[in-house]
This record gives sequence, C-alpha cells and structure tokens, in this order.
Amino acid sequence: MDKKKIEEMVNQVFEESFEIDKGDLSPEKGIFEDLGLDSLDIVDLVVALQKKFGVKIRDDNRVREIRTLGDIYNFIESLYNEGNFSADK
Amino acid sequence: MEKIKKFILNLVFYVMFFVFSIIAIPPVVLLALLGSLIFPRRVVLKRWRRAISWYGKIVICVLPFPFIKVQYKDFGRDDNREGPFIFICNHRAASDAFLMACLPFECIQIVNTWPFKLPIFGIGAKMAGYLSVKEMPIDVFLLRMKKLIGEGVNVISFPEGTRSEGKEMGQFYSSIFRAAIETKCSIVPYCISGNENKPPKGSSALNPGIIKIHKLPALRWNDYKDLNSFVLKNRVREIMRNELIKMDQK
Repeated sequence: MDKKKIEEMVNQVFEESFEIDKGDLSPEKGIFEDLGLDSLDIVDLVVALQKKFGVKIRDDNRVREIRTLGDIYNFIESLYNEGNFSADK
Repeated sequence: MEKIKKFILNLVFYVMFFVFSIIAIPPVVLLALLGSLIFPRRVVLKRWRRAISWYGKIVICVLPFPFIKVQYKDFGRDDNREGPFIFICNHRAASDAFLMACLPFECIQIVNTWPFKLPIFGIGAKMAGYLSVKEMPIDVFLLRMKKLIGEGVNVISFPEGTRSEGKEMGQFYSSIFRAAIETKCSIVPYCISGNENKPPKGSSALNPGIIKIHKLPALRWNDYKDLNSFVLKNRVREIMRNELIKMDQK
C-alpha cells in the first residue's frame, strides 16, 4: 500500500465518521485545534481507523503522540511497514 | 454618563450581592441541614437545587436591574413538558452560571474544576450534586449522568469548557454529547448573547445592557440517534452559532 492510498483511506475515515469536508483535510491540520477532536473523539477515531485498516492500534503508545493529520498518515504507514496489517482493504 | 452608570451599577450590585448573600445563604444552609435529618436525600436535594435557582434568579435578574435587563425567549415551549433535558449553553461570561440557574427546572450544572474551589459557592455546588467533569474518568461521569437523568434531573452544560474570548464560540468537548447518546436524553440548546461584558473575561466589572437568552427547540433522540458524539456536538454548535449570529446582529 503506498502512502497516497493510506492518505486517501485516512481521509475517508474523517469524511465518513466525522463529517469533515475533504477540503479541510491536509497533512498540516492539527486534529485538536483545527479539526476539533478531543480526547474522547480520539477513541472513536482509533476504532474507525482499526476498522478501516484491519489493524489493532488501540494499545500502541504512538497514538498519544499524534497531533496532526500528517502524523496519522505517518503512523499508519509505519504500521504497514512493520507488517502489522492483516490485509490490504 | 456611561461611566457614571457603570459605577452606580457596580456599586449597587456588589453591595447588594454581598448583603443578600450574607442574609440569604446561612438560613437556607441551616434549613437544608435540618431538612436532611428529617426528609429523604432526594427531597432535600430537590429543595436545595430550587434554592440555588432562586438565588441565581435574584442575583442576575433583580440586583442589577434596571441597569442590566434579561430578555428570555422560548422557541421550544412545547418541549417543556418532556424531559429531563440536557441544556447546552454557549459560555461568554461568569454570569452564565447564574443565568442558567434561573431555569424553571430542577437542574445541576457541569462545571470546570475552579468553581468547586470557591469558598461558599463551591460547597453549595457540591451539595447540589454539580459535576466537575475534569475531575472524574469518563465512565464515572457517564454513570453519574445516567443516575441523574434517571432521577429526572436536568443537566446544564457549557461544552466549550471555558469562557470564549469574544463572540465566536470555542470548539465543543464531546463528553456531554456522549452522555446524551447513552441516556437518549433530549438536547436543548440555549444561546446567550449580550453578556460578554457582564463581566468581561479577566474583570469583575459589570457593564449595563441587555442580556438575551434564546431557548431553541429540543433535539430528540430520534433526531440524533444515528450520529456519533463528534458529529452531534458540531451539529448542535452550528445550530447555536447561527442563532447567535442573528442575536448579535439585532
């Protein structure tokens, strides 16, 4: 899975689960201050990402360091590179 | 002229606020303590919350009158027989807590950490069962909310978490909306305008003027059952934002 595909799928999560416009989704956007998520919404985000990518990320400490949308792209990419994905969707 | 008006307002208000609090609070506390020896806890809580409501009404509607007037419009009057409700309010000034205490329902408020630390009001708020959401894990908060709603108690929340700097609302926190989803409780948006300088953030000086409160129609479980807490909070925020723009322009 290339990075472009990862970005596309992460953006789909934000569009489908959080009703955020595609135009508002760019790597530099802060997920708290720009997109308006809070710590509770992160739980929903993690669940939605797990469902989308078929990978378990709930217990991964790197989730706590995520601040921007770009951080999510990189995090998912690193999971993919580590071979954590069960299957490409 | 405006400066003189402001000076008189603050002088009269704060003197009367102090005197009224000294006269009103001790006997009510005493009655509540005595009542707790005789009546069930639920009855005492109900009376205590009603006492807070009357206190708030006098402080915000009577003491600063005629320098500050409160105009209340109910656009969801038909909803009033249902309930309990979760009331969602925008938060521009410290007077909001008093304004919301005027609601004609048995209510508790969701507060930040600092109101609990106030010498007298903090104790009163704790006694009334107000919830400090920042001081409890979310699962405990949700359990407490379920219990309150189950008892028929209405809940007032300021989901911005802190006073907004100006007229633009801050982002909403999700916890109260998650509680709404869990309890299937109707959500009633309350928009407050004109209070942003009563008093302004960082000051305790009140300014004369009119405070407008608009109660909007309730969002019922059927209206939001398919939404998650993030989408729901933004939906409610948008409804309130549109109403506040109209209110601020008038």
